[in-house]
Formats: sequence, structure tokens, C-alpha cells
Amino acid sequence: MSNLLKGNFNTEKTVVDTNTSEESLEQRFEKEALKKLGGSIAFVAKKEVHWGDNDDSKKD
Amino acid sequence: MAKILFINPLVREEDDPRHVPYGIALLAAIAMRDGHQVQVYDENAWRKGADVREQVLNADHWDVIALGGITTAYGSIKTIVKHARATCPDTLIILGGGVLTSLPRDMMDFLPEVDVGVIGEAFVTLPEILSKIDAGQTDWENIDGIICRRTLADEQNSDTGSELVISGQRTLIPDLDSLPYPAWDLFPLEEVYFPNSQVLFSEEGMLAQRRLDINASYGCSLICRYCYHLGIAGDMKYEKDENNNIQIEFDKPGNYSRTIRYHSPEYIVGLVKHAYEKYNLDFIGFLDENLMTMDQYSKRTWLKEICRLWIENGMQPTCIHDGIEHDENCTGVHWSGTSHATLCNKETLEVMREAGCSHLIYGYESFSPHVMKTIGKGATPKTNMRSFFWTLESGIRPIPNQIIGFPNEDFQAIYDNMAAWEKLGIVVKPFFATPYPGSEWFTVYRDWIEEQYDGNLEKYILDLGDATRITAVISHNFNAVELLGLRELMMSFDYKRIGEYEQYWRNNHNIPEGEPSTIFKDPVDKSTVKKTTNIKLVGRIDTAAK
Repeated sequence: MSNLLKGNFNTEKTVVDTNTSEESLEQRFEKEALKKLGGSIAFVAKKEVHWGDNDDSKKD
Repeated sequence: MAKILFINPLVREEDDPRHVPYGIALLAAIAMRDGHQVQVYDENAWRKGADVREQVLNADHWDVIALGGITTAYGSIKTIVKHARATCPDTLIILGGGVLTSLPRDMMDFLPEVDVGVIGEAFVTLPEILSKIDAGQTDWENIDGIICRRTLADEQNSDTGSELVISGQRTLIPDLDSLPYPAWDLFPLEEVYFPNSQVLFSEEGMLAQRRLDINASYGCSLICRYCYHLGIAGDMKYEKDENNNIQIEFDKPGNYSRTIRYHSPEYIVGLVKHAYEKYNLDFIGFLDENLMTMDQYSKRTWLKEICRLWIENGMQPTCIHDGIEHDENCTGVHWSGTSHATLCNKETLEVMREAGCSHLIYGYESFSPHVMKTIGKGATPKTNMRSFFWTLESGIRPIPNQIIGFPNEDFQAIYDNMAAWEKLGIVVKPFFATPYPGSEWFTVYRDWIEEQYDGNLEKYILDLGDATRITAVISHNFNAVELLGLRELMMSFDYKRIGEYEQYWRNNHNIPEGEPSTIFKDPVDKSTVKKTTNIKLVGRIDTAAK
């Protein structure tokens, strides 16, 4: 049972943690790199990449 | 009894959640004390997103959804109240805290989903709202400390919209010791907060494993023009405008009021001991605005008595007791707080260290005499330096906060600061002077601030952070680009490049060498300012009388 809600009575419905995925390695890396940003620490935020419409930009 | 859901909004998203929201924890305890059914969803701690929030909102039939926070939580609050209104159309949504208190009418306009705003201290106002809910009443305007909406009707009794109504001013509670202990159990201590206990201000803070924060006092006797107290420090005034509408006002040039309140040492140490025994704490952060104000008002007895009781109750850290270096094996409770350059004294600092104080935050802000004269801090470069050495000598780390971008900041101030940092070994990335709502400089510069955000105040509120990033500029001499560049060069002590830029700046502003590098013109016409300062001590005067 999740304990996302804490109180002095039982709610009618239980809140289930649907966002259970552990931080991915990619997320962890980008978070840590952001803290040290500067100099040679630069990175691509992969979720923020806007792929061009040009098919040439999407190479499998 | 009312069924109430407290939601703690997201704040400082870029950092891990580190602080249990003290106000919500107290209000939850008060509501439970009065017999209400209470749940807390700490969105800032969990950071689970909209799906989980949807479940929370649907978990029960809530009579009240209550939110609060500081101004920088506004973006999250906006998202939550929209979601709450859509999911729980019949639930009363209440907003309180600094975000609402600083700009009650604006916030109610920005957030039409909010039914009732609590202006200032909610310790009595919220229970009165809950009592009305129990009684089936909705005449919120009969409760002090409220802003709410009154439905307007035409002669045919048709709904023609609503207007905002502000009720009478809520009196601050005189006896803080009447407050219950915060309901820490309703927050994810083991899951989130204890793992984020570390505070990188001292060795002891760095090694903290189980930290909680407490608020031992409310108020500050000083009138720092960038600071805000938001109605809990006697700083708030209800004034009628030309249309006879009540407006909420705070510090204005020459017009200041403060109420000083603090818990008894017995309450404070009792609370910490309760937390120590229940949660096995190793660190306490005092959230107080300025511990030294209280110490001064108690005639230097308050902190000494807290320290005496701290040791008497077995919470003196063993490393200090045994005179050895602190490590993970140390037991007892280390602690930290806030100090003030002029109000602290050597003897008290030594007593504090003996009881386990590891670091003290000093808002030194600047080491430039002409800047310090204008900021209302009641300190000088001399008192900054004196307190710095006293604190170090006592064994406590002083945390020397600095700010650049004050209205009259100029090149001389920049050189003064760099010289002091070099002399004192200060490693710092200064904050930017930021006019938060509720501060005197927000009132003075409001038009200019809005101008910088295309006349859109909400855009400014959404942009506000913790002042490490630049937002609205109130410096007369430097724009945002200049401040950012100067800060970078100051941190690397690059006198040469700053000097070269000064020549360029002087040419641009037609200010010859030898004259002060400033175009500052005080926006306040001092000849029209009527000075009124009213500082009173309320409540705990027993310590002061000893």
C-alpha cells in the first residue's frame, strides 16, 4: 500500500503510486551533469532534442 | 467534522526537497487537535506528477483543499488549484501563506479557482473556517483575515459576477506556546526528508542524517528593504484606498511596524527533545528570520536559556562534550540558525557553540559602506567583520551571504566587496537583489518591475526563484547583462577586466574619472516621507523580565 497520503483517517480510495519508475540512468546522468555544468561538462538533454523534419536528420 | 486535504506545492524544483513545510505541519496539527479529518499530500516531496495528484483529489469527498506557500511556489499552486477545481468542483479551495498574503487581490484575480484566501497568520483563521463548514455556513467575510468572493446580483436577482471582499484584520496570536507541535508524521520523513538531511554549510550539516527544522520565533526588528515578512511579523497594514476599498500594505519608506514573538526556551527545547526521541534526530535547523532579534529583546537571556536547557536535556553533541572532531559516531543534536552582524555578541556565540551550534547564516549582503547605508540592515562593514571573527573564534561557521545589484550598487561597491572577500577568505556567488512582493523595494519599484515583464505582474511572479538567478533588476547603474557579467568577474577577482569595463561604462554615462560611478537617484522623495516606526514585543516576555 502506498503512503503518498498521510493523515488521521482512512480515505475512501487508496492512492497508488503509478509513477513508480526509478530514475533512469539517463535522467540520473543529466541531473548530475547539470549540477557540474561548465567547462568540459556539457551534455545533450535528450528529451529536449527537436529532430528536424528533414528525413536526413533521422538516421537509424 | 470537516474533511480537509492539505497539499504542499512544488518549490525549488531544481533542488531536492529538503524542508518539511512548517506552516502546513502546524495547521494540520491544529486541525487534528480540533477533531477534523486531515490528510496531507506533499507534492513537493513526492514529485509524482498529475496522475497521482488526480488520485489524491479523488481519494475522498473533501470539504476543503488547502494550499499555501511562499511566492516562488506560485507556478505549482496555479497548476494544482486548476486541477483541484476541475476534479472537485464542490470543494472549498483555500489558499494561504506568503504567496496570497503579499498580493491578496492580485492572487485572487490570477487564481479564480480559489474560493477563500487567508491573509497573514492562519493559526486561528483556518479553524474558524473549518467551524463554519461544520455548521454549514459560508459567510466567510465574517471571519477576520479573509479575502473571498461575493456574488453580485442585479435587480432581478440574476448573477452578474463577483467582487472581492476583505474582512477585518486578523490579530496575531500572542502566545506562541499555545501552538501544538507540528504534525511531522504526516510528511514523508523516512522516504524523502531524512535522506535529504544534508546541509552544506558546515561539517556537521554535511554529515547530518536525520534533520528537521523548527521555527522558534516570528519577526525581526530590522527593516531590510528587500526583505518581506508577509503578515506574521506585525508588518502588515490594512489601508483604505480612494475608493474606500481595503488594500493590504507592507513596509513603505519611513513607515515600519513589527511585532516580536518568540516561543519560550522550554517549548523550544521540549519540541526538539520530542523530535530527538521520536525520530532519532542528529540535526535541527532553526528557520527563524533572525535569532538575534529575539535574543536582544529578551535582554540576552533567550538563547542562553535555550542552550542551557539543550545541554540539560542531554542533547549536547558528544563531539563537543568530549572535545573531539565531529564524525558519524557523534550523538546529540547539532543545530544551525540565523544571526545578525550588529545584534550578535561574542559571549552568546560561545554559549551557542557549546550547545552544538554548527553554523549561522549572516545576511552580510555587502561590505560597501555607502550601499549598506541604504539597505535598512542596521549593519556596517565594521560590524560584519566583527561578527565574522567572533563567530569563527567561537567555533561556529559563519555563512556570509552576499547580494549584488542593490539600487545604488556601483563600481566602488564591487571593489569593496571583492577586497573584503579576499581579506576574509569568503568564497561566494552572490544573490541578485530581488524585489519580492511584500518587500519595501517591491512597493517602491513596482511600476519598473512590471515594465520589465511587459506590464504583466504574473509573469514576474512566475519567473521568481531564490535570487540566485536574475529576475527584475532594481539597480540604477547596471542592467541584467552587466550584473551577470560583473558577478562572474567578481568571483574570479578579475579587477583588471572590471576596471576596463568601468572606463567603458563611464564613457557611456559621461561620468569622468574621479567622480562616483553612479547615476543613482533615490526614487523616494525623503522630504515627503513621514517616519513612523513601531516595534512591539508580544507574548513571551517572561524571559525578558528575568
